[in-house]
Amino acid sequence: MRIEKCYFCSGPVYPGHGVMFVRNDCKMFRFCRSKCKKNFTKKRNPRKTRWTKAFRKSAGKELTVDNSLEFEKRRNIPVKYNRGIWDKTVEAMKRVEEIKQKRQARFIMNRLKKGKQLEKEEAINEVKKNIHLIKAPHAGKAKQMEDKMVQKLQEDVEMEDDDI
Amino acid sequence: MKLWDPESKGFRLCSDHFISANPVASAMGKSKQTGNHKSDKKKNISKKWKLKRRTKDLDQIHSDMKPETAAKLLHQEVDYDMTGCAQHYCLHCARYFVDLRALKEHFKTKGHKKRLKQLREEPYTQAEAERAAGMGSYIPPKSVEVKTQPVEEDMD
Repeated sequence: MRIEKCYFCSGPVYPGHGVMFVRNDCKMFRFCRSKCKKNFTKKRNPRKTRWTKAFRKSAGKELTVDNSLEFEKRRNIPVKYNRGIWDKTVEAMKRVEEIKQKRQARFIMNRLKKGKQLEKEEAINEVKKNIHLIKAPHAGKAKQMEDKMVQKLQEDVEMEDDDI
Repeated sequence: MKLWDPESKGFRLCSDHFISANPVASAMGKSKQTGNHKSDKKKNISKKWKLKRRTKDLDQIHSDMKPETAAKLLHQEVDYDMTGCAQHYCLHCARYFVDLRALKEHFKTKGHKKRLKQLREEPYTQAEAERAAGMGSYIPPKSVEVKTQPVEEDMD
């Protein structure tokens, strides 16, 4: 008994679930549900279908290369049951899964950081470009001009006073 | 009319046409629509997807493209039951044509060019599905050089 992987979405196919399609050249295709089978018969490419694991991996949405991904393998050598080994394996599986989850989560968070940064840059740019909407170009300058004129007039008056 | 529409970040040319400046939307690619409801392509989709009408998959065509099998498929014996007596076969589209002219016309079509483009990527396999599911590191697909088959001119 094995938990197979769906050909289309890479999800688990438990014994007694899903469908298998055998093509006329004897190649087998397992599907976890009718959704995946339908998409296969429509000749869709799993790499281009957004909801599949294959898409997420090929588009760089998820962690692709990591040592934590190397534990799960198809091992075709039968191992004789041994309680010690069994216990150890179960413990190891839990630990590996924990590490894997953590790394995958970290990868996604790092990936999303880029967008945040771009968003910020975009916002700063927008403000810079449309600064006239926030502050009128000559706002507050009228008073400055008036002050300057008053000052000049006073100076002129003083000069005239000096001449006399 | 305003040319620059600040709300949707794009250029409005007229009431129907709009150039989007949104980089995400432009990266999504062309729409997959291949015709309106009247087009023959969409009339009988359920029949098209019937198992008995199933055409070759891309990975089968990839194995057909190996030199030995390709030579066999391109030089088939005369079979009166097949289209054009099985003498004019397009390897990449897995289709028979009535004569050389029809075959050559087919090479110029959009469908054929599209098929070549699809074949340029390594076929998807169960192994890749398993790697995507977390059984080993994911290896991105390689690209393969694919060209339309050469046509030998009959001089007689």
